[in-house]
Amino acid sequence: MYEILEKREIAANNVLYKIHAPHIARKVQPGQFVVVRAFENGERIPLTPVMWDAEEGWITLVTFIRGRTTLRMNMELQEGDKILNIAGPLGNPAPMKKFGKILAIGMITGIVEVYPIAKAWQEIGNEVITLHIVPEPMIILKEDLEKAVSKHIVESFPLKEGMGMPEIFKELVTRGQAKVRELIEKEKPDLVFMVGPARGQKAIFDVVKEYGIPMEVDLHPIMVDGTGMCGACRVTVGGEVKFACVDGPSFNAYEVNWEELIARSEFYADLEKKALEDYLTKLQQGGAQ
Amino acid sequence: MMTLIKERVPTPERPVEERLKGFMEVNLGYTFELAVKEAERCLQCSPAPCTQGCPVHIDVPGFIRKLRENRDNPEKAVKEALEVIWACNTLPAITGRVCPQEDQCEAVCVMGKVGEPINIGKLERFVADYAREKGIDEKLLQEITPKIEKKKEKVAVIGAGPAGLTCAAELAKEGYQVTIFEALHKPGGVLVYGIPEFRLPKETIEKELEKLKKLGVEIKTDYVVGRTVTFDELLEEYDAVFIGTGAGTPKLLNIPGINLNGIYSANEFLTRVNLMKAYAFPEYETPIKVGKKVIVIGAGNTAMDAARTARRLGAEVTIAYRRGEEDVTARVEEVAHAKEEGVKFEFFLNPVEFIGDENGRVKAVKFEKMRPLEERDARGKRKLVPTGETAVLEADTVIIAIGKTTSKLLRMTLPQIEADEHGVIKVNENMMTNIPGVFAGGDAIRGEATVILAMGDGRKAAKGIKQYLEEKRKSS
Repeated sequence: MYEILEKREIAANNVLYKIHAPHIARKVQPGQFVVVRAFENGERIPLTPVMWDAEEGWITLVTFIRGRTTLRMNMELQEGDKILNIAGPLGNPAPMKKFGKILAIGMITGIVEVYPIAKAWQEIGNEVITLHIVPEPMIILKEDLEKAVSKHIVESFPLKEGMGMPEIFKELVTRGQAKVRELIEKEKPDLVFMVGPARGQKAIFDVVKEYGIPMEVDLHPIMVDGTGMCGACRVTVGGEVKFACVDGPSFNAYEVNWEELIARSEFYADLEKKALEDYLTKLQQGGAQ
Repeated sequence: MMTLIKERVPTPERPVEERLKGFMEVNLGYTFELAVKEAERCLQCSPAPCTQGCPVHIDVPGFIRKLRENRDNPEKAVKEALEVIWACNTLPAITGRVCPQEDQCEAVCVMGKVGEPINIGKLERFVADYAREKGIDEKLLQEITPKIEKKKEKVAVIGAGPAGLTCAAELAKEGYQVTIFEALHKPGGVLVYGIPEFRLPKETIEKELEKLKKLGVEIKTDYVVGRTVTFDELLEEYDAVFIGTGAGTPKLLNIPGINLNGIYSANEFLTRVNLMKAYAFPEYETPIKVGKKVIVIGAGNTAMDAARTARRLGAEVTIAYRRGEEDVTARVEEVAHAKEEGVKFEFFLNPVEFIGDENGRVKAVKFEKMRPLEERDARGKRKLVPTGETAVLEADTVIIAIGKTTSKLLRMTLPQIEADEHGVIKVNENMMTNIPGVFAGGDAIRGEATVILAMGDGRKAAKGIKQYLEEKRKSS
């Protein structure tokens, strides 16, 4: 059981939890994630620690409210409450090498995973430019990134009334692609790195590959245990089946089978919607557990 | 004149229609009266082949004798029988349910030569269940625990599956301070994520775990050894380490279409349903998608578990196996239950390709038909030759149950441990690995075996650890 020391909505739909989890704080490195099980009847979901303090024994996690679990966490977990399980740190740490100039991109809440990696890359002598592609109300970590890297750029747009997820996503992709093209031509990075939804990663990769620049992506397919035991998170990379949880999460974007990754990420979309609707009904009826 | 009772006293089973409506346990077990009746069939052989046939050498005639000697006093009968079992096996409620008795103790039972062997498994289960129900095990535990002399040495056990739990219990009984590190949120390993409720109720495991805690064993969940804590750190803090990480990595088929949606490893499928209770979605929040037609590939116990689970989730289920019926590796009881529950079997079909629809979801499996030869391989199974003929079976869900290999994470984070090319850890006769003070057992040293063999290893390793720690104490 892990106590929530602090909880804040840091932007629209983005909730930060500062949690007492000394076993994670002691060991986590940039690029690694944890698997959280917040409720007795809850799912196990992968989340990425953004900041941590080994001595004080805390980590921070940021959730983007998009389905039942993340909404329920926001509704039912307050400061002082406890999260049932946090396992980890899991996955391989990001390679701490000198790549030269790095363009590190986060789409929406993907930026939370970019932050610790970009910061660490900058600290070991890389020149890191971070790009956050995001709707305006969801801008997060702006000051932190400005402090941590050579240059932090936010490519954002206001949300207009009646804009649904498909329109927002289209806007993210169009603006993201244009901005990445501009930055590649201007900055000539040696490496591009990106975290975000699989479809977004694929759209940005389509631009990067025109220039042939090496690109790494952290993948987050659906996971259950996160320790290599179930194979839910399998992806085809370079023609081989890999488990994102133990072989990743970082992979060479040129080798990823994107079509398969996207299909696998969306397999449960209908059930996720059903679970969310079920929870919303409970909320309306005042019976959330 | 007395007559030889050749037939077993049957155990009541839940009717098929009722089983398919949920996950309630299929076999309902003996009552005291029925158990005594079955116990009376035992010939009390000496020496007893059944004891030799048991991987942990339970004194089978001994515990059966206690039941019938005290037929007028059920509590006394069960207490004394439990004492006999506990001397060799601390988790009888589990082994009584999941051991392949027909290949072990019951296979060599003398009664089996003229009639049906004694139903040793169900008697063992009866003793454990009755003891639990009446609080007899609790009393027995209270008698044992004050006699345990606490020792200063600390032992770390990695993995809370059958091997780890047994090793921990045995060491705790010797007075060592034991901490189990478990990666998942619940201890039990394959007993909680793999074996379904209808075969091994979770409540049974939870009760066995309570016993362990009363013996003073600490269980740390959410600890992924190699990540949360390294082996070197464990070796620094603990006087000995036991690795019981099991066969954690599912084997998948290296054929086209393996990553299509709707293709699950048996581990994923069973974990979603058992550990995460996806059958109660959305009340339990982990989803699962089981279509109308499910194909399970493989014919071991895991395949039966997956097939019977899918039946309970409303699907038509076919088990496709590349060998014939005689080579099915699952327990007889599991195959019989699967058939009763309407699982179909197709033999001599070797999968060659998964066919998907336009959305990337599996819609059929293409098999090549195999032909068996008279010649047998090293494991005594008939050799197969491909016929070139193919068969396509429709399926919207496929479950791959062709086996598992050792934990990939373990191999990645402990490269210095000596293992074969499959990552199966090598141990000596005391279950010690090439690293002094590090022991291993269960599927981590066997590839893939049974719960009872894992428990046997855990027990043997506990002895090895005790010996190692005593020698270490003497030399320091």
